[in-house]
Amino acid sequence: MPHLRMTGRGLWITVLIVPPLAFVALFIVYPIISAFAYAFFDWQGLRRGDFVGLENFHTVLFVEPYRSWTINAFTHNVIVFFALMVLQNGLGFLLAYALWRELPGARFHRIAVFLPVVLSTIIVAYLFKLFLHPLFGVVNISLRGIGLDWLAQPWLGQGSTALWALIAAQAWHMVGFPTLVFLAGMQRIPGEILDAARMETESEWVKISKIVWPLVAPSATIVFTLLFVGAFNWFELPYIMAGLDGSPYGSTDVLGLYFYRTAFGNVSAGQQDFGLGSALAVLIFIFIAAFATVMTLRLRAREIQV
Amino acid sequence: MAREHSEGIVAQLSLRGIRKRFRTTDVLHGIDLEIGDREFVVFVGPSGCGKSTLLRLIAGLDPISEGEFFLNGHRMNDVAPSRRGIAMVFQSYALYPHMDVYENMAFGARLMGLDKAEVESRIAETSRMLRLEPLMQRKPRELSGGQRQRVAIGRALVRKPDVFLLDEPLSNLDAALRSDVRLEIAKLHRDIGGTMIYVTHDQVEAMTLADKIVVMNAGRIEQVGSPRQLYETPANTFVATFIGSPRMTLVDVTRDGDRLGVANGGSVATGALPPGSAFKLGLRPDAVQLQRGQGGEGLTATVVYTEYLGDNAYVYARLADNTLLSARTTPNDLFAPDELVTITVAPGAAHYFSAADGRRLEP
Repeated sequence: MPHLRMTGRGLWITVLIVPPLAFVALFIVYPIISAFAYAFFDWQGLRRGDFVGLENFHTVLFVEPYRSWTINAFTHNVIVFFALMVLQNGLGFLLAYALWRELPGARFHRIAVFLPVVLSTIIVAYLFKLFLHPLFGVVNISLRGIGLDWLAQPWLGQGSTALWALIAAQAWHMVGFPTLVFLAGMQRIPGEILDAARMETESEWVKISKIVWPLVAPSATIVFTLLFVGAFNWFELPYIMAGLDGSPYGSTDVLGLYFYRTAFGNVSAGQQDFGLGSALAVLIFIFIAAFATVMTLRLRAREIQV
Repeated sequence: MAREHSEGIVAQLSLRGIRKRFRTTDVLHGIDLEIGDREFVVFVGPSGCGKSTLLRLIAGLDPISEGEFFLNGHRMNDVAPSRRGIAMVFQSYALYPHMDVYENMAFGARLMGLDKAEVESRIAETSRMLRLEPLMQRKPRELSGGQRQRVAIGRALVRKPDVFLLDEPLSNLDAALRSDVRLEIAKLHRDIGGTMIYVTHDQVEAMTLADKIVVMNAGRIEQVGSPRQLYETPANTFVATFIGSPRMTLVDVTRDGDRLGVANGGSVATGALPPGSAFKLGLRPDAVQLQRGQGGEGLTATVVYTEYLGDNAYVYARLADNTLLSARTTPNDLFAPDELVTITVAPGAAHYFSAADGRRLEP
């Protein structure tokens, strides 16, 4: 009875697909569409005012103080992206290579590297806030303990180090993810290909750059794209560690915090503007979508079938 | 390091007491082997006998646990694979999937520090010899199995190594292509004259290609010799049954004067006999003759089935002690299943092995 089977199969597919589709529609598609709509109106608190066309976009991009805030936050996101590209993806690649080559203790380190990834961001953020406490934090106590008093800094309290402290915490938290993706990519490389390379060179660098790196291109596409999206949507960790204002003095402000503040207001400023917030959200969305698409297409082009 | 073949390279390999241990398992139990310059040596043996492991030790891909390996008098144990002057053709070919044919061949040559012109001339020469010229811009996935094979060989040739290692290079090819490539490899060895070590589990490949066959079993060398030596004077029952197809029949016999008897199965005269009263009699398919019916002098047997191969035929018959014997007959003389036959042996055509340890006994 093939017909009946198909019905049963169709039913299964329906049951499995409809709930997540509904979820995505309700919590992702609908907010995106509504943000697009809100961005073109003037808002008085929760009350929608007049249609103002591109006025809100103009304000966040070209009118002070929004203009400076936007540039400041965007610049920080760019820094975060490139810093994490090195600290998270770069380090992840090297860690994956070390794990792949089965150096002593690889089994332990595979777990150790990935463990922080499963921790909640809240836990990691609070932990690092404690670690970086100027007086009682383990970082400064350790530095003083080994006589490097001059290196002990109020890491989160000064503009010159705060963003980098957040980046370091983020890199520690998530480095296991690119590591795992790269490791999976490396494990797909046939052993004889690496043997063939070993017959021709003893340089680890040549093997990494000329053989392994090109062959894990699909993994690179995944982690680069996800890091890009993550870096420009960055919110939880700076929110917990630096607060909604991107303290101190906006030195850790990123687009996520800035958008949230603008749309929903914050304790100190108290003002909220859905119109400007939505305009920001739309700009962030378009930027990420456009850039991620171009990036994915370009990265896909260098992938090859093994 | 590698030298020009035309200038007469020397590549003598000397393996002394080589052992290989993976954690607690011994895979090779002391291999002693001398391989001469320009020899085509084939390591042959059943799966898991350690032949590929031995090849990887020679290549330097796995460390030698014990013993020493010398190449031209230089100890190679701790020399990196890329510095041994050895090139390897892998079973899966192991071409770099992201490089085209040209790049695959150029990669190793450039890493040797050759200048651009030299790399190009070597690739041009090799690709001409292997008929790869139309394929130079293709990626490995765009090549057929036979073409990949040729690229893998080309990649090894471009480096002009002293020694070529080939690990089951034909096993991924279909049967028709296999014999073509086998001929090509034999021709290649004649043309370039390097020392080649070739691993296979296929005794036909071993017999047709080798100057010298190394028969391995369970981490030991059973016998080293030319194909003819191995076929005509196998050192023990393992080699006797491994080399030759269909395989040699081994029958437990007891001596009765100048005749050999099988329990309740008649007796046969085979010519001169080794000393001793009981041993294993080894009979190749062409050493025995079949006569219809029983009653005459010879071993009694029952036909099980007949393989007709066109130019000849093989008859499989069961002896009284349940041994399955294979015999070659002419295609005009086919036997039906369950037919009763009498088996006689041409004088001097039989082999004799010790019943205790399977070693060859000379009459």
